[in-house]
Amino acid sequence: MVNLLRLPGARFLSHLAIVFVIWAALMRINDGIDPLMSYYLALAAMYATAMFGMVILVGLSGQVSLGNGALMAIGGYVFALTSLNWQTVPILGWQWNPIWSMIFAGFGGIAVGLIIGWIGARLRGPYLAGLTLGIAVGIPAIATRFPEIFGGETGLMLTVPYPTGGYAPTVELAPIDEAPLDEVPLEQAPLEQAPLEQAPLDTETAGAGDMLTADNFPSAESSPAAGDMLTADNFPSAESAPSVSALPSDVALPTDIDPIAGGDALLAGGAFVLERWQASLAVTAACIIGFLALNLVRGRQGRVWRAVRDDEVAAAVSGISPAGSKISAFVVSSFFAAIAGAVFAQIISYVGPGAFGLGLSLSLLVGVVLGGRASLGGAIIGGVLLVALPQLVFNIAGDRGWPANVTDNAPNLVYGLLVVLVVLIAPGGILGSLKDGTRRLLAKSRSAK
Amino acid sequence: MLTITDLSVNYGAVQALSNVSIEVPKGEVTAVIGANGAGKSTLMRTLSGLVKPGSGSATVGDVTITGRKPEDIVRLGVSLVPEGRSTIPELTVEENLRLGGLWRDKAARNSTHAQVFDLFPVLAQRRKMRADTLSGGERQQLAIGRALMSDPRVLLLDEPSLGLAPLIVTQILELVSRLASESDLAVLLVEQNAVTALRVATTGVVLNLGKVVMVGSGAEIAADEQLRHAYLGY
Amino acid sequence: MTTFIDYVLGGLGSGAIIALMALALVLIWRSTRVVNFAQVGQAMFTTFIALSIQTWTGSWYIALIGALAAGAVLGVIVQYLVLRPVKRNDTSGAIIATFGVLIALQAAAGMIWPGGSQAFPQPFNNSGIEFAGRVWPISIYDFVVIGITALLVLGLTLLFTKTSLGLSMRAAAFNPEVAKLSGVRVSRVLTFGWALAGSVGAVAGILVAPVSTISPNSFDILLVYAFTVAVIGGLDSLIGAISIGVFTGLIISLVSGYSDSGNAPVVALLLLALNLILKPEGIFSHHKARSV
Repeated sequence: MVNLLRLPGARFLSHLAIVFVIWAALMRINDGIDPLMSYYLALAAMYATAMFGMVILVGLSGQVSLGNGALMAIGGYVFALTSLNWQTVPILGWQWNPIWSMIFAGFGGIAVGLIIGWIGARLRGPYLAGLTLGIAVGIPAIATRFPEIFGGETGLMLTVPYPTGGYAPTVELAPIDEAPLDEVPLEQAPLEQAPLEQAPLDTETAGAGDMLTADNFPSAESSPAAGDMLTADNFPSAESAPSVSALPSDVALPTDIDPIAGGDALLAGGAFVLERWQASLAVTAACIIGFLALNLVRGRQGRVWRAVRDDEVAAAVSGISPAGSKISAFVVSSFFAAIAGAVFAQIISYVGPGAFGLGLSLSLLVGVVLGGRASLGGAIIGGVLLVALPQLVFNIAGDRGWPANVTDNAPNLVYGLLVVLVVLIAPGGILGSLKDGTRRLLAKSRSAK
Repeated sequence: MLTITDLSVNYGAVQALSNVSIEVPKGEVTAVIGANGAGKSTLMRTLSGLVKPGSGSATVGDVTITGRKPEDIVRLGVSLVPEGRSTIPELTVEENLRLGGLWRDKAARNSTHAQVFDLFPVLAQRRKMRADTLSGGERQQLAIGRALMSDPRVLLLDEPSLGLAPLIVTQILELVSRLASESDLAVLLVEQNAVTALRVATTGVVLNLGKVVMVGSGAEIAADEQLRHAYLGY
Repeated sequence: MTTFIDYVLGGLGSGAIIALMALALVLIWRSTRVVNFAQVGQAMFTTFIALSIQTWTGSWYIALIGALAAGAVLGVIVQYLVLRPVKRNDTSGAIIATFGVLIALQAAAGMIWPGGSQAFPQPFNNSGIEFAGRVWPISIYDFVVIGITALLVLGLTLLFTKTSLGLSMRAAAFNPEVAKLSGVRVSRVLTFGWALAGSVGAVAGILVAPVSTISPNSFDILLVYAFTVAVIGGLDSLIGAISIGVFTGLIISLVSGYSDSGNAPVVALLLLALNLILKPEGIFSHHKARSV
C-alpha cells in the first residue's frame, strides 16, 4: 500500500483513467440491459473483485489458496454484524452508513490475512494448501458453532439499505412484476433469525434472479449430503446445504421500508430496479479494488512478489524479505476477498456458512486458473466465466432435453475438465493463451514482411 | 572399450560440448581434467543418458549408448558414480548396494555383492546402518560400490575427490586404478583436482570450454607448463 | 472409565479408515511430491462402482475386488493428468489439477449415479457385540475394518522392506536420478505407486460406505481428516499416517462423546494449525516443510 504513493504520477493517472473508462462503460451497459443481466453483471464483478486477490496470491506470489471463499465470509459476516447491530460509528458517534460496514469488513479481512499469512508464509506448497483447506472448512464451521452471534446454519438475513431516491432506470420497466411469488421462500426461513423483524412478508421476488442463488452456484456441490458417518455428525458445514435452499436470497428487499437509510426511499411503482443497483454497487467496488490491484501489481510490490515466487534465495539476497512479501500478498488478497464478501452479502441479502463454503473457495481457484492466474485480466475473465459457463451449459443441456442429474452436474464436469486441461496444456489460462497467440501472430506477420 | 566420437551437447543456445572425441581403453584409468564449466559433468551426464546429445555418439564395443535412457545404459555395462557422493541417505548401506543391481538375476547379484564387500570391508561392517550415518569417505565408497553392483564394463567417476580429505582421495583413486587393471574395467575419471587425477591416470584429456585441447599421458600433461597455467591453474 | 473405553473402542474403526486414506495420500506424496487432493474423489467413484457390482452380483467380495481394480486404473489415469505440471516444476499447477480431477469426478458420479445419498449394504453385522454381560460399542464389522487395515499395512510394509519392487519404489521416491542410474525403470515404478495408492484409497472408500452412505460429496470431510493426518504424521511417513490416523479416530470419538460431535472437526483443524505452526514437517519426518 505504501508503494502506491511512490508511483510516478503518470502511471498512476493512466491507471486511474483506464479504470474510470471501464467503470463508466460498465455503468452505462448496466443501464441498458435487463435486470437478469444486471444480476449476472453484479455476480461477475463480485467474483472478479475476489479473484484480483487470487491473482496476486496464487499467480504473483505463488501461494495456492483454497480458502479465499472463507476470507470472503469474514467480510460478509463483518458487514452483516456491524450493519445489523451498530447504529452509530463507535467512539466517533456518527450516523451509521453501509460504507462503514464495508470499511470494517476490509479491516476484518486485513486482520485475518495477517494471521493466516504469518502462519502460511513459512509453509511450502502442499502444507499451505492444507492450511487454507482447513480455513475453507473451519471458518464456516465456526459460524455454525456460535449460532447466537452468527445465526448458525441458517445464517443472518440482511436488510440492505438502499440509496435514498433509489436507482432510476433509463429503460423500460423490467419484468420483475411478472413474477410476484408472494412470501414463498420466506416461509421456510425462520424469521426470528432475521434480526430485522421488519422484513415484510409481502415482498416481491426479484423474478429472474432465481437461477443464481447461492444454492446453484458452481460451488454448491461441495456441501456433502447428510447422514454419513464422517460428515453429518462431525462436519458442521455439511448440513448447511439444506439451509442454503431455504434462504430468501432471491427475495427482493422490502420495497416500502428502509429502516436504516430511513424513509420511503424507494421509488414507487417498481421504478427501483434492485439488480441494477446491485450491479452498480458490485461494479464500483470491483473498479476501486481493481485500481488498487493494478497499482500494486505494476508497481514495486508486484516485482517483489514475482521475485520471491521465482527465487526466494535470490530475492532474500537482494534485500527482500520473502516472508514479508508472502504475508503482504495474503493481506492484500484477504482484504480484496473481504470486500468481495461484503458485496456478496449485499447482493444476496444474506450471510451464512452455506454461501461461503469450500465450494466458493474452489470456484475462485477454478475461475482464476481458467481466466489466467498471471494477470488481473485473468480475474475478470474468470469472473465472467464463473457466471456465464453454468448458464451456457444449462442452456445447452436444456435444449437437448437432458435429464436433471446430467444437467445439474454438467457445469461442474466442464469446470473440472477445463481446469485439468488448462493446467496441462495452457498454464497461463485463457488470457495467457490469447497473449501467446497474438504474440505469435504478430511475429509471423512481422517475419512475412 | 568406450569410444566417444564427435559428441556435442547444447543447453539452449549454449554449447556445453563441441565435437569431443575420447577413447577409453579397458584396464586403464582415463582422466578428463579441466576448470569449472569446462563441460566435464555434462560429458558424464550425457554418457550415462541423463542428458541427450545434440550430435555425435558414444559406443561400448559395438553398441551405441547415446540417445538411450539411463536405465538401459546401465544394462549395457556403463555405470556412473555421480558428483557429490550420491547415495540415498534414507536407505541402509545394504539397500543402497542392492539397488545398484536390482535388475540382475539373483545369483549374479549376490556374487557381485560379496566382491564389493571384499573391496570395501567398511561397508560390510555398516551394512545395516543408514547411509547418512557414514563419513564422507565411506559414502564415496558406497557410491562406487553401488555403481559396481551392475558389474559394469565402463565405470564413470564424476569428481570423486570433491569435499574429501587428500589422504582419502588418494586411497580411493588408488583403489579405482587397481580395480581397473585387475578386472579389466574401463574407467573414465573426471576431476578438477588435476594433480591427483593425473597420478593414477594412464591418459589425460584436457577439456576447456567444451573442447578437447590436449590428449596425452599424465606425465606429458604435467610437463607442459604453458598448458597447466592456461587451463589447469597450477 | 467404562465410557472412556467405549469411546476409544468406538473410534478404532473410523480411525483405521482415516489412516488408510492418509496412507494413500502419503504413498503418492513419497513418489511424486504431489498431494493428490482427488484421492477421495477416486475413492468415492470406485465405491459407487463397487455398489453397482454388489447390486448386480450380490457379493461383497467381488465388489471389493472390483473396487481395488477400479482404484488402480483411476490412479494411473490421474497420474497421467498430474505428471506434466510436475515435470514442469509447477507445484501450484499440480495441486490445482488434482482439484480439477476431484470436481470432475464428483460431477461425473452425480451424472452416472443420480439420486443423492445411497445406502451401501452391510456386508457384516454392524451392531455392538454382546460380551461379558454388556453390549460393547464395537461390531463384527469394526473388526473386519481393523483387520483389513492391519493386513494392508502388513502387506505394504513387507512390500517396501523385503522386495526388490519395494526397494525400487523407495529409491525412486527419494532420489529418482540415482534410481535411474542404478537401472530402476522409474516411470513404471511411479505408475505402480499411483495404482497402489488408488487401490488403498478404494479400500478405504468401500469400508467407510456401509457405516455412512455414499454420495458424490460424502467423502469430502474424509479428505480434510486424511490430509490433516498425513501432514501431522509427516507426509513422507507411512508409520506416521497409520498411527496418527488411528489416533485421530480416537480423538474424534472422544471429543464427540464428551462434548458434541460438531466440535470434532474444529479440534482436528486446531491440531493441524498447531502442528503447522510448531512442527510443520510433521512428527515422523526428518524433512523440512518450512522454506523460510
